[in-house]
Amino acid sequence: MPVAPSEPDAVRAVRRRFAWCFAAVGALAALAFLFSFCIGKYPLTVEEIGAILFGGEVGQLKRDVFLNLRVPRAVMSFLTGVGLGLAGSVYQIIFKNPLAAPDIIGVSSGANLGAAVAVVVFGGSTMLLASSAFVGGLLVTFMVIALVRMTDRNSMATYILAGVVMKAVSESFIMMLKFFADPEKELAAIEYWSMGSFSNMTASKLAVVFPLFAVGLAGVVLLRRQVTLLGLQEDESRMLGVRVRGVRIGVLAFSTLMVTSTVCVTGLIAFVGLIAPHIARLLLKRNSFPVCVFASLVGGVILLVADVFARTIYSAEVPISILTTLVGVPFLLYFIMRRQGGDA
Amino acid sequence: MRELLRLDGLSAGYGKARVVGDVSFSIREGEYCALLGLNGSGKTTLLKTICGLLPAQGGRCVVEGVDCTSFHEHKRARRLAYIPQRHSAMDGLSVLDVVLMGLNPHLGLLENPSKAQRQACRDALAKMGLGGAAHRDFGRLSGGQQQMVILARTLAQDAPVMLMDEPDSALDFLNKHLVLKNIRDLIHAEGKAGLVTLHNPNFALTYCDRLLLLKEGTLVADVQMRDSSVQGLEKALSDIYGDVVILERDGQYMVGLRPARCPTS
Repeated sequence: MPVAPSEPDAVRAVRRRFAWCFAAVGALAALAFLFSFCIGKYPLTVEEIGAILFGGEVGQLKRDVFLNLRVPRAVMSFLTGVGLGLAGSVYQIIFKNPLAAPDIIGVSSGANLGAAVAVVVFGGSTMLLASSAFVGGLLVTFMVIALVRMTDRNSMATYILAGVVMKAVSESFIMMLKFFADPEKELAAIEYWSMGSFSNMTASKLAVVFPLFAVGLAGVVLLRRQVTLLGLQEDESRMLGVRVRGVRIGVLAFSTLMVTSTVCVTGLIAFVGLIAPHIARLLLKRNSFPVCVFASLVGGVILLVADVFARTIYSAEVPISILTTLVGVPFLLYFIMRRQGGDA
Repeated sequence: MRELLRLDGLSAGYGKARVVGDVSFSIREGEYCALLGLNGSGKTTLLKTICGLLPAQGGRCVVEGVDCTSFHEHKRARRLAYIPQRHSAMDGLSVLDVVLMGLNPHLGLLENPSKAQRQACRDALAKMGLGGAAHRDFGRLSGGQQQMVILARTLAQDAPVMLMDEPDSALDFLNKHLVLKNIRDLIHAEGKAGLVTLHNPNFALTYCDRLLLLKEGTLVADVQMRDSSVQGLEKALSDIYGDVVILERDGQYMVGLRPARCPTS
C-alpha cells in the first residue's frame, strides 16, 4: 500500500495545470474587458482608451461613454459572473449536487417576485426595482432557512425541498401580478427583467452594488475552509468540529448576498452559476476552493463575452439570458454525456 | 494507565424509543476495544450517542474526566474523533486537503492552518505510509489507501478518544487486516482510547485488546483478551451469536458456528 515517492512530479503537474489555467482565464478576462470597453454603439479604439486613462487628448463624449457607460457595464458584467460562478460552485459543494445553482433555494424566484412587485405595485423606477428584487431574493432565502428550522430537519434535502416550496409560492405570486399587470408596459417590464440585461448600467448603480457584493464575496472567501467541510456527509463534518447549522446558514447568506446584490440590478441570468463550476472542474480536475475561485473567473469571462455579443449581434440589445442559455445548454449536454460515459 | 473514556449509565435511542439502556464502561489509554453485537443490538446507536450525533436519553459520556455529553461539535471534536463506516466522496480534493480537515477542531472559524500544523499533517500521512501522496487526488486512491488517509486525518485531529463504526466495511480481505492492524498500532503507539464496532468477530479477536458484547441494547459481557482462554471466549460469544467454536493459531482467530447450530433459512 505505501505510495512510491514520485511526489515532486505529481506536485509539479498539478501546479503547472493550475498556473496555466489561471493565466489563460486571466488573459481571456483582460481581452474580454478590452472588447467590452471598445465595442458598442460608439466604438472606442485602444489608443483612445489609453488616452483617457493616461490624460491624453480625447473628446468629452468618448470620455463620458468610456467612464460612465463602458467601465461600469464591463465591471458589472464581470462581477455578476464572478458572483454566479463562485456561488454556483459553493452551492454545488454544500448541496452535494452537481445541478445546484444559486436559484436552488429560491434566490432567483424571490428576486423575480421582488422585481414584479416593484413594477406592478410601485411603478418600477430603476432603483426601486433593484431594491425590491434585492429584498425579494434575500427574503425568500431567509424564509427557506426559517422553514428548515421549523421542520427541525437540518439536512440539505430539507433545504432543497423548502427551496422548491418557496419557488412555487413566489412563482404563483408572480403569475398573479402578471395577471393584473398592464400588458403593454408592466408585463413587458417583468418579462424583460427576468431575461437579464446589462444595458442602463451606470457608475452610481455600481457604487451601490459593489459594497454589498464585496461583503458577500469576503464572507464566502473567509469561510472557504468551512465550505469544503460542509461538502462532507453531515455526521462526518460534525465530528470534525463543524457547527453545521450555523456555518451552513452563514455560507448560504454570504453567497446569496453576492448573487442578489448583482442580479437585482441586472435581472435574472440563466446557466452561468450552473456551468462555470463544471468548466472549472473539467479543466483543473480538482474540486477544492481554488477551483471555486477559477469558476468565478470563468463566470466573469462568460458574462463579459455574452454582454459584448448582446449589444452587437442585433440592432436592439438582446437579453443576456438568451445568450447564456444558448451557450449553457450544449455544455450541459456535454457534461451529461461525459457522466454517462463514467468520466465525470 | 489513565482512563480516557467513561460511560456512566448512558442510554440512547431515536425519539422516545430506547435502543440502548444504561451502558457503563471505561476505556484506558492505549486500549483498543471492539463493540460486538448482532444487527439491531444498538452498536451504531451507542457509538453515535457517544459521538454526540444522537442526543443521550440519560447518563453521561466523560472524556479525560470532563463530561462531554452536552458539548457542541467544535469542542467535542477536540476530545472525540470518529471514523464513519463510509467516508464522504472527496473526489477532486488532494490527500493533504483531506488530512488538513482534521485540524478544524483546533482552529477558529476563519483561521487557517499554520506551517507547523501543515507539516504535522504531512507527518501523519508519512506515518500511514502515504508520505508520497500528499498532492494526489483523494478520489483516485484505492479504498485501502483512502481509509489510511482518513486515519491520518484522525491522527491530525489529535483527540484522545477514537471511535470507529465498521471502518473495514468497504475494504477487501487484505485491506481489512491492514487497516485494523494500523488502527491497533496507532492506538497503542499514541496512547489513545479506541472503540470500534465490527461485524466480524474474527477481526475483533485478532486485533482488539478487549471485547464489549452488546445484546438487545444491553452490555452483556466485557472480555479482556489477554486474560481469556479460547473456552472463555467461546462462552462469552455464544451468548450473542449462538453456539460458537473458536480456533486460534499464532494470535489469529477463526470463529464459526457449530454445524448443528447453523441457522437454517
